[in-house]
Amino acid sequence: MRYFLVLIPLALLPLLLNDFWVSQVLTRALILGVIALSLSFLATYLGVVSFAQVTLAGVAGYAVAYFGPNTVGLGFPLPLYVSLPIALLLSMAAGALIGLVARRSRGIYAIMITLAIGVAFFYFTRQNYALFNGFTGFSGVIAPKMGEGNWGDPMPLYFLALGVSVICVVLVNGFVRSPLGLAVQAVRDAPGRLLALGIPTTYPIVAAFAFSGLIAGSGGILNVWFQERVSSFSVGIGPIIDVLIISVIGGLRHPTGAFVGAIVYVMLDIFAIDLIDRDRFNLLIGIVLLAIVMAAPNGLHQLAIDWVGKLRGRAEQPRTN
Amino acid sequence: MPLNTEQKTTTANALETQGIGKRFGGFWAVKDVSFSVKPGERRAILGPNGAGKTSLFNILTGDYVASSGAISLFGEDVTKQSIPKRIKRGLRRTYQHAYLFDGLSVCDTLFLAVAGVRGGWRQVLPVRSNDPRREEAERLADVCGLASFLDRMVLELSHGQRRQLEIGIALAEDPKVLLLDEPAAGLSPAERPLLSKLLLSLPADITVILIEHDMDIAFQTSESVTVLFNGQLMAEGTPEEVMADKDVHQIYVGGAHGH
Repeated sequence: MRYFLVLIPLALLPLLLNDFWVSQVLTRALILGVIALSLSFLATYLGVVSFAQVTLAGVAGYAVAYFGPNTVGLGFPLPLYVSLPIALLLSMAAGALIGLVARRSRGIYAIMITLAIGVAFFYFTRQNYALFNGFTGFSGVIAPKMGEGNWGDPMPLYFLALGVSVICVVLVNGFVRSPLGLAVQAVRDAPGRLLALGIPTTYPIVAAFAFSGLIAGSGGILNVWFQERVSSFSVGIGPIIDVLIISVIGGLRHPTGAFVGAIVYVMLDIFAIDLIDRDRFNLLIGIVLLAIVMAAPNGLHQLAIDWVGKLRGRAEQPRTN
Repeated sequence: MPLNTEQKTTTANALETQGIGKRFGGFWAVKDVSFSVKPGERRAILGPNGAGKTSLFNILTGDYVASSGAISLFGEDVTKQSIPKRIKRGLRRTYQHAYLFDGLSVCDTLFLAVAGVRGGWRQVLPVRSNDPRREEAERLADVCGLASFLDRMVLELSHGQRRQLEIGIALAEDPKVLLLDEPAAGLSPAERPLLSKLLLSLPADITVILIEHDMDIAFQTSESVTVLFNGQLMAEGTPEEVMADKDVHQIYVGGAHGH
């Protein structure tokens, strides 16, 4: 319930901030947070760090571009109520496929497999012109119309991203309390033991990856509407690392950690250049991220919870004495 | 060595093995072991470390694929059946080292044990508090003495409580044959009588096969004993008969080495 209280200031913020803050900071952070949430979900509940979450977001993004309006004259335009489910189904199917391939891998091996898939997808989108329009990708991928404006305008897109973020957090919280979600966590802790209960391990692993595909795909669709384009750069090694950084600095213990990591990352990414020489701003970003990881090994979200706990402890102590 | 049709139809044994073995390269961890256990019987498997007791359990449950021989459960050949199929037929086990889901609560762990047999573990909606499987999980927690720890994370349980939870898991959904692998291992002297009490309180129709180094617990809870040595069956009989056996006496008191 207390997490829903956070929604009140988040709903009021656009009234106080200009379009730059609403669009480039808040909306972008929410979109990156949704994609990072798909990674946090896998890492926390399945125990697998996947580098292919940007790929899944890209699958949905490319699908929306291919089956929706774009300015490159490629694709097969369909109504939104058809293209959106197709995009999400494709990202879920891609997630399931990755889960199937990586089902026996843990730790560094799972990272290597998913990274290989991510990089392969990047080069494939670069070299394939029939479906992905190669290097250039798709541009002019505008969000659907909404009355006078469209969902891609700063304010509507912010609330859309906020709504999708809340739905994704609720979905993750619900999924992990379902029997299948419990089985996913059991795979993380003791896969052999789960099998000894009569539950095969492949199904929960594949289901977890498919579910992460649904989350990542939702973020991917928002990202395409936000950028109004999708290309190989959207699914390259840069975004893959960005999402990993966001998940780690935000913290993996709670789904909302991804959003904490995303806002910090976006702020750094935007404002570091104002604080230091243009050629060295990446160094500043690196140092700050390193400091965060060292000061908060369990992520900023957990650090904040610990601080609040300590402050409450101090506040309660005089009363008990 | 498949079981013949006549045996399938006439056997009254809960569990029967015929010449089962497991080979790792040139080493036989279990070799040519044949024994049978009647329904409701309490059988202890004894033997020194490395005798092949846990390997025998692994073959019985399907964790290891038998290199030779055949296994039947209530007359049905299960040698080639998968672990989940054997579980559905009523075979359950506990592990020598409590091998549990540390990140789940006691209730969720027992819920999965129930759902694994009863089904519905593919459900993607959160479990309701009045779900019959959750009620069964709560009943199991009561049976294994963990009723007041339902919401406790498994990671936070003591070693003895983890042992109790292992037994609770094994009791899920009407087990017919229960394989307990050293349930008293690592328990304090104070916890051992509690475990004995729990084992003695198990329903009489459940067949229990117990690997145990604690002779007090083994003899207190079992009416028959099988002794393994170097992967092979050495002796079988009542506790008194087995303890009177000269070879068994030697491996436990000293003098015999693997040969």
